[in-house]
Amino acid sequence: MSKLSRRDVLKAGAAAATLGFPAIIRAQSKEIVILGLWDQTGAFADVGPINDRGMKMALEERNMQILGRPIKYITRDGATQAGTSTRRTEEAVDGDGAKFVIGPWSSGVALAVSEVAKRKKVLHLFSGGTEDISGARCHRYSFQWAASPYTAAKTVVDSFMKANPKAKRWHLLVADYAFGWSVEKYIKEVGKAHGLEFVGADRHPLGEREFSNYVQKAAANKPDAVAMINFGGDAVAGAREIFNFGLTPKVPLIMTWSSGVEELVQLSPEIRQNCWVGSNFYYTADTPGAKAFVKSYQAKFGNPPGYAPSASYSMTRLLLAGFDKAKSAEVQDVIKALEGIEVNDIVGRMRMDAATHQNIRPYFFMRCKQKAAMKHETDFADIIATGDAPLPKEYGACKDIGGF
Amino acid sequence: MSFVAAQILNGIATGMLYALMGLGLSLITGILNIPNFAHGALFAIGAYFLVSSALIIGNFWVALLVAPIGVAILGLVIEYAGIRRLYAAGHDYQLLFTFGLALILSESIILIWGPVGSSYLPPEILRGGADLGFTMYPKYRLFVMVAAGLLVFATWLFLEKTRYGAIMRAGIENKEMVSLLGIDIKMLFTVAFALGAYLAGIAGALTAPIRGLNPGMGPDMLGIAFVVVALGGLGNLLGAIAAGLIIGVAQALVAAYWTEASTVVIYAVMAVILLVRPQGLFGIR
Repeated sequence: MSKLSRRDVLKAGAAAATLGFPAIIRAQSKEIVILGLWDQTGAFADVGPINDRGMKMALEERNMQILGRPIKYITRDGATQAGTSTRRTEEAVDGDGAKFVIGPWSSGVALAVSEVAKRKKVLHLFSGGTEDISGARCHRYSFQWAASPYTAAKTVVDSFMKANPKAKRWHLLVADYAFGWSVEKYIKEVGKAHGLEFVGADRHPLGEREFSNYVQKAAANKPDAVAMINFGGDAVAGAREIFNFGLTPKVPLIMTWSSGVEELVQLSPEIRQNCWVGSNFYYTADTPGAKAFVKSYQAKFGNPPGYAPSASYSMTRLLLAGFDKAKSAEVQDVIKALEGIEVNDIVGRMRMDAATHQNIRPYFFMRCKQKAAMKHETDFADIIATGDAPLPKEYGACKDIGGF
Repeated sequence: MSFVAAQILNGIATGMLYALMGLGLSLITGILNIPNFAHGALFAIGAYFLVSSALIIGNFWVALLVAPIGVAILGLVIEYAGIRRLYAAGHDYQLLFTFGLALILSESIILIWGPVGSSYLPPEILRGGADLGFTMYPKYRLFVMVAAGLLVFATWLFLEKTRYGAIMRAGIENKEMVSLLGIDIKMLFTVAFALGAYLAGIAGALTAPIRGLNPGMGPDMLGIAFVVVALGGLGNLLGAIAAGLIIGVAQALVAAYWTEASTVVIYAVMAVILLVRPQGLFGIR
């Protein structure tokens, strides 16, 4: 009986390694893992599930494949908290091999995730109101899909003043985090050209539900218009209280950075009277991409999409367009491909600025309809203007986006 | 000056709702000796019951009577079918039960009424503002302030001036003694939980036209209710009323001058008072 020597064992092991492991390695590298970081709990718990819908739709359009390779879509709950979101991202990158991250929904949280993307060298796409991702804290790995806060502010203020030239005394209600500060800054900046006087600007915490104290203050200032720079549940609670205190419909309410459908559906037609709404997407956008997406979304879910599923849908399509252009699934190749990419998507023409990673794209401004003018129950508003004025160079804080 | 007066008025209106919530929670916590984590969910269900029954019946006022009774019946069922079974199992199990129940009730709201929130307008007669001389104030909020005030007063009268109220207060002080006197302590627990649920339900029902409906509205209110109970003193009913008003007015006044701190002030006030009086404003334990 021959004895099995140590050398034989090592040889057998090496043979097994060459036969077995490459197969595993091949299987692992073939799959492209994309993480959707969507909140299922916390302040944006209601938004995460519909973000997920949009992202899945974009991936399913491509049969969950890109460059002939399967896409593995994983989603994690960031709990609308920076700590949880960064931890989940790191786990997905280290444990699941995710190299591409889309989300989350909160600007403040996304800034923390963007730092993880930079450290882990993974591509990060985000849509939100902070200017820092494509501004002071810009880097090669993160991209901003939403319009710049300047683009939004310019579209909203110019379009509103065109329709209401005498409404020069504004009271602002601002969500007290990165997104609110960015949009507030540019509303005030753009307002100068129209001679706007800001009779009050109150900041409220994210997740505020008791708006009576703020609204009472706003009413005491007797403004010509109230502009809210908040989002989701905060915007709904604020608009409702502004109506309860009798400001609207006498005084116009501007929802500067709204989710559109998702917020408007929660407000009754009486509350929506004299509401003017700015958003990154509205489902009646007159583009072929929007028409196809809205039709497909409505067929699937029975209601039109708002900003949340539209953003995740379009961001995913943008990422896939980057793969197509790069003809590679390497992070740095896809980043180079996305820099300067031009596509026609649901919002119309988009161009990703290579120097700042800011999407140059249209922003929408709507006027809510009177109850009698609504053709169906989701016929909330008409798009009255779009604007795509990019951030002027003098305001730009991203001086050098750096290398890899 | 009129601005400050208006903010104080608003603080009292909001504080009355907090007091209602705190009173119900304090009653349950005091008598059953468990923190009822489902109190926020019962508040939310009160709001949803109001809107659904108003749509079915077609009358807000009848719905306002019916909805909290529905929540009280739900509370009765919860105590009878759930919490009562766990008295022997111990405190931890009851605590876990109410925690799990809060999750089940919140998810049930989503299953029954959907995940998307909605608005519900006050009845026609209470829409718009009333001129109080120093400020314009929503009529519906004035109504809520008066209604919540009356409810708080009625609850206090019941507990202070009726025989069963005296038994309840005695139950808070010393359950064993009450039991030894031949009083059905189990029935007392059930009534206390149902009454606490009723108060949460009517607070939710009154709030629906102000804050609308949202599956997350329960947890939002639960935190404040716990602050009110801790601040007022565990199981102290007068303390809960005072604490509700203090929190409401403090929030309104801080919001007048430093809006960013209007939420944190709730917890700051609690921290400061508990540092000075660890047993709460009127608490003895």
